[in-house]
Amino acid sequence: MARVVVLGAGIAGHTASAYLRKWLSKQHEVIVVAPNQYYQWTPSNIWVGVGRMSVDQVRFKLAPLYKRWGTIFKQARCTSIHPEGNNTSDKAFISIEYTDPERKGETEEVWYDFLVNATGPKLNFGATEGLGPEKHTMSVCSYDHASQTWNKLQECFEKMKAGEKQKFLIGTGHALSTCQGAAFEYILNVEHEIRQRGLRDMAEIKWISNEFELGDFGMGGAFIKKGGYITSTKIFTESFFIERGIEWIKQAGVYKIEPNNVFYETLDGEYKKESFDFAMLIPAFSGHGIKAYDHIEEDITSHVFMPNNLMKVDADYSGKPYEEWTIDDWPSTYQNPDYPNIFAPGIAFAPPHTISKPLKSKNGTGIFPTAPRTGMPSGVMGKIVAQNITEWIKTGNPKMDHRASMGKMGAACIVSAGYGFLNGNSAAMTVSPIVPDWEKYPKWGRNINDTMGEPGLAGHWLKLSMHYMFLHKAKGYPFWYLLPE
Amino acid sequence: MKTVKRGYVQEHYAPMPTKTTLFWRNFIPWQIIRFFVLNLKIIKIVVKGHS
Repeated sequence: MARVVVLGAGIAGHTASAYLRKWLSKQHEVIVVAPNQYYQWTPSNIWVGVGRMSVDQVRFKLAPLYKRWGTIFKQARCTSIHPEGNNTSDKAFISIEYTDPERKGETEEVWYDFLVNATGPKLNFGATEGLGPEKHTMSVCSYDHASQTWNKLQECFEKMKAGEKQKFLIGTGHALSTCQGAAFEYILNVEHEIRQRGLRDMAEIKWISNEFELGDFGMGGAFIKKGGYITSTKIFTESFFIERGIEWIKQAGVYKIEPNNVFYETLDGEYKKESFDFAMLIPAFSGHGIKAYDHIEEDITSHVFMPNNLMKVDADYSGKPYEEWTIDDWPSTYQNPDYPNIFAPGIAFAPPHTISKPLKSKNGTGIFPTAPRTGMPSGVMGKIVAQNITEWIKTGNPKMDHRASMGKMGAACIVSAGYGFLNGNSAAMTVSPIVPDWEKYPKWGRNINDTMGEPGLAGHWLKLSMHYMFLHKAKGYPFWYLLPE
Repeated sequence: MKTVKRGYVQEHYAPMPTKTTLFWRNFIPWQIIRFFVLNLKIIKIVVKGHS
């Protein structure tokens, strides 16, 4: 009998545990440890944030599903990993603390044969003074944040209806934030909702971002075929903004928020201020601060995790300069180099470096997007980790035949730009590969036939169908395993 | 007094879609075709993406 413990029930963790339970016979145990009782389809939080979907449309309870599947669910957070066991046993284990209201605060040691760390990001609001829903800005990073944001947005609608102009500031809330795509999607949806209500003249809408140019999205931008040219996503993104009367601030490292004011530093080294009535700014991400100890209880956290608390995997962490980066720096199995029975798919793995070029201001502040790896890539990583562990358990050999490098896999990012079956809009983007491969594609970094950006209603339909399709899959409805990640 | 903006601000250098472009973006028969094309492109990427 083997026991696989999966930390996290987000896109990577839930995908991994679902396939592990499907492929492994019942003599093997699959245990999921997650602090939240719900699964959430994070991409649809955007629609919660503009009131087009309710919280219950984007989430469901995990416990009934795991009971049906025969997966053991512990609503708890992992506090430490002991990959060598301790002085009484050499069996690897994790320490957990329950968040389940019935066992809140209770601790337990859970032994494992294989550990999948898919804890996702910690929303590090604390890295920017005054940032976050408990301070002065809103967020759409989770369903409860999105719901609060919708309440705040409605207050702004009421003020505009009463004749009071409102200024909306949407983008990134830290010099090293990622997930520009989510903020881009949110600003387009907010503009759409304001326009639908006939209030556009009452709103000033502005984008603020740490990107060098618009359309970078943490992927160093992309080149697409458009209108008879091969053009940059900078042009594509700027066109979306100019069409909607949205102004923008780029190369901005936000470092402080006060009520109604954002303070930021530019790459030119200037310190500036921007006012707002409503701000939705994406925080920096980090790992969750899980500790690691060896068999004599010595702290080995720095061996297992990078300084940002994200887990080391089969990537090149030598810190080589930008000019020497290649796709081979990126991991493909998400296996920890020191403890091969530990894997970290999704946002939990430490990228070897960013995808966008790291740039510093004249004052030495790094202002650039960190690497995105949400959604589709996370699902794919979760699946191949499950495949490799399953084969290892069944054959007894760690073959690691299944691989999914961000330097080889593509991704689709469907950005809804307004909700409505007939009057909705979107920016449908695909890139292949996610990390540019300048050796294979020396001109454009990516396969120009598979990398595209297309505005239109069709992308909105696609985004909507993905909402239902991926929730169907996550809920384990019939033939869920036939649906792609 | 009306403010006149002609160039020399970043917003003036981005391409603005024409009425025809906007029409095609919401023209249902064309968008139905694009829906299937987008699906095919994404399936191709998913299939190629991992082994």
